[in-house]
Amino acid sequence: MVSLRFVAKRLLLLVPVLFGVATLVFAILHLSPGNPARVIAGNRASEEFVRQIERELGLDDPIWVQYGRFLADAAQLEFGESYTIQRDTAVREILRNKLPVTLELAIYGQLIGILLGLPLGILSAIKQDTLTDHLTRVGALSGISVPIFWSGPLAILLFAQFLGWFPTSGRINSQAFSIEPITGVITLDTFVRGVEATLSNGFAVSDFAPFFSAVEHMVLPAATIGIYSMALISRMMRSSMLEVIRQDYIRTARAKGQGAKITLMKHGLRNALIPVVTVIGIQFGTLLGGAVLTETVFGIGGIGTLLVQAIEVGDYPVVQGTVLTFAFLFTLVNLGVDITYSYLDPRIQQ
Amino acid sequence: MSAETETGTRAGRDRGLLGRVRASPFLSELLSNRLALVGLSIILVVVTVAVYARAFVDFETITRVQFGANPPRAAPGWMALFGTETQAAGLLHYPFGTDGQARDILPRVLYGAWYAMLYGTITVGISTVAGVGLGTLAAYYGDVTDNVVMRTMDVLLAFPSLLLALALVAIFPDDLGLWRAVAALTLVYTPRFARVIRGAALAVLEDEYVDATVALGARDPRVLVRHVLPNCLAPITVQSTLNFGLAIIDLAALSFLGFGAAAGTPSWGLMLSNGVERGLLTGEWWWSFFPGFFLAVTVLGFNLLGDGMRDALDPRMREAID
Amino acid sequence: MSDPIASHATLADRLLVRARLVGGAALVGLLAGTLGVLALALLGSDARFASEQVFAVCALALGFGVLGWSGSVLAGRTVEGLQSSLDTNTEWTEADSRRAMARIGGFGAGGMAGTVVSTVLLG
Repeated sequence: MVSLRFVAKRLLLLVPVLFGVATLVFAILHLSPGNPARVIAGNRASEEFVRQIERELGLDDPIWVQYGRFLADAAQLEFGESYTIQRDTAVREILRNKLPVTLELAIYGQLIGILLGLPLGILSAIKQDTLTDHLTRVGALSGISVPIFWSGPLAILLFAQFLGWFPTSGRINSQAFSIEPITGVITLDTFVRGVEATLSNGFAVSDFAPFFSAVEHMVLPAATIGIYSMALISRMMRSSMLEVIRQDYIRTARAKGQGAKITLMKHGLRNALIPVVTVIGIQFGTLLGGAVLTETVFGIGGIGTLLVQAIEVGDYPVVQGTVLTFAFLFTLVNLGVDITYSYLDPRIQQ
Repeated sequence: MSAETETGTRAGRDRGLLGRVRASPFLSELLSNRLALVGLSIILVVVTVAVYARAFVDFETITRVQFGANPPRAAPGWMALFGTETQAAGLLHYPFGTDGQARDILPRVLYGAWYAMLYGTITVGISTVAGVGLGTLAAYYGDVTDNVVMRTMDVLLAFPSLLLALALVAIFPDDLGLWRAVAALTLVYTPRFARVIRGAALAVLEDEYVDATVALGARDPRVLVRHVLPNCLAPITVQSTLNFGLAIIDLAALSFLGFGAAAGTPSWGLMLSNGVERGLLTGEWWWSFFPGFFLAVTVLGFNLLGDGMRDALDPRMREAID
Repeated sequence: MSDPIASHATLADRLLVRARLVGGAALVGLLAGTLGVLALALLGSDARFASEQVFAVCALALGFGVLGWSGSVLAGRTVEGLQSSLDTNTEWTEADSRRAMARIGGFGAGGMAGTVVSTVLLG
């Protein structure tokens, strides 16, 4: 159905994509004002000291030498060491710690969005112009009108401060539990640790206390993102479904005597999903970008916050590493979309 | 075909404004959409507030800074009703409370409307003009022009908008304040307009009467200005309206992340950011609530109107937007 | 729709045509890069600054071109498929787009090389 060649060709394209992004980032950073050596040295440092740092970092080499070195390093996933954010720590190390945080948040958010958005969109389309439809549409429109950096604080106020159901920020109750990271995905790590403890000592609820704490911390941020993406997905699903319902072949199929519901499921859904899949793919990218805001609001340090910090203080290696990571993820997600797409609409593949 | 169109427009012209509104399927469809009208009303109210604040709110007072002092923050007066705060000054004293500089939040929020409308208009305005220019050129000249312009736009479109804006913000010097955010967002939005306008322009160009005009020897710019642009007006307006809401959110988001308005500026994004950072965990919810509420309602207004407009569009044009 | 180069020609022929396409753009870029550095230097900025700026701008073009090229290949079939299924043929083809992008990228690469040459010559 989806040929291996199709997938291989697309995976191979990751190389030029990342090369292009790397070159772009390099160019943008060198066009932007500000001298990173000055950033490291601090405002009061002497000109002498700044020159010395420039020499150490190789910033006094001709620009093409710097470009070549950057590409060669990036090809080995080596982005150098952070200038200021976590001084002398390898960017790769920082990314390894922060990436799972963002991914976890984005994936849970997107899951909530898809699980709620698809059914709502379908419902809205089937019951077009009824009260249900109107409510869903206005709800969805409100959902995309409310910025995450307002709905997030509101959720904290209501559910964390006023009702006290969930914690206000962070990823786990760090005073009570310290968890040795395995993957960095905290809900997974705590669960695995819980299972490990159960296997060695027998089951005890307390083994899973860190897991529950992690889940508790995940609810508000994931729901905040999830509601936003639910709004987008349900809107797209509705219009796509309506488009399909209007088309002739559904009517033909119904005329042939199949039950209306089966018709809808069999012919409608698959075709209606085609554009929605694309939107979900694009939406996931937006979600990774939007994670910056959610992370800031909920005090969760992922690569979104990292990128913002790095841009703010001019930490070039971190900016380069983070942007390339984003590009890599984004391309992978698009690959996933492509594969799903050609599964849903075999005409695409030739 | 062309004779028909001709009489159609002339009839519309004779009937005056109301007649023309009735004759235009786009406007009559739009005016029958109740939600779109709600959106339009919201926008009108916000514009009024913006102009009022700009004219009557004293900028010095609302941006006053007291160095060194840690003035007490007042809760909204009406909270006395719930018994949580006791205020002698009356229920309407500081209806939105005060912020960390003991400034009344109400006039600041009102002034924020001015910022949102002003910078939103500039962002969307420039991107519309740039997008319309690039889109029509791409559609009209086709071929290499089309490819170069549209592929460039596609590359820009491929990035998540907030991330792209963040990357672009870094290019501009930070003493530009909100203008930096405007510049970055203009670059982010232009491709959306270019794509929509290109689609719409192609649809218009496919029509026979433009072919006929070209055959009759009309030179390039005249065809674009006389025939293509007027017919693309509806999709341009729809796209601008939908993006206006997004522009307000994105400007606020950049301010929220520290890449927009300079400290102390009464912009919704910055007030929200300060309120969340310093007021949320101490229970001063009003600090961030009101700016955010106005922001959300304004954006909802634009989305409602934009949505209604899109539904009222000719289906052929609608395809390009989304 | 189909690449006119692709069908009948031998591999060597195809490579030649492609090399000519990118090479032509690169030559133009080479010239532009060299002149750019010289112009900036003549206008009074120091040679190092001039070469950095021109190089970075050309790198921008290269990055854009490469990204656009791979974007066309990645999304092209999908877009063409979408167009044919929606019946909104806009005469946009993957092949055309790829060629345009290859030119931009070639121009950028040439410009970068031009910067190097002219900077070294300026000493």
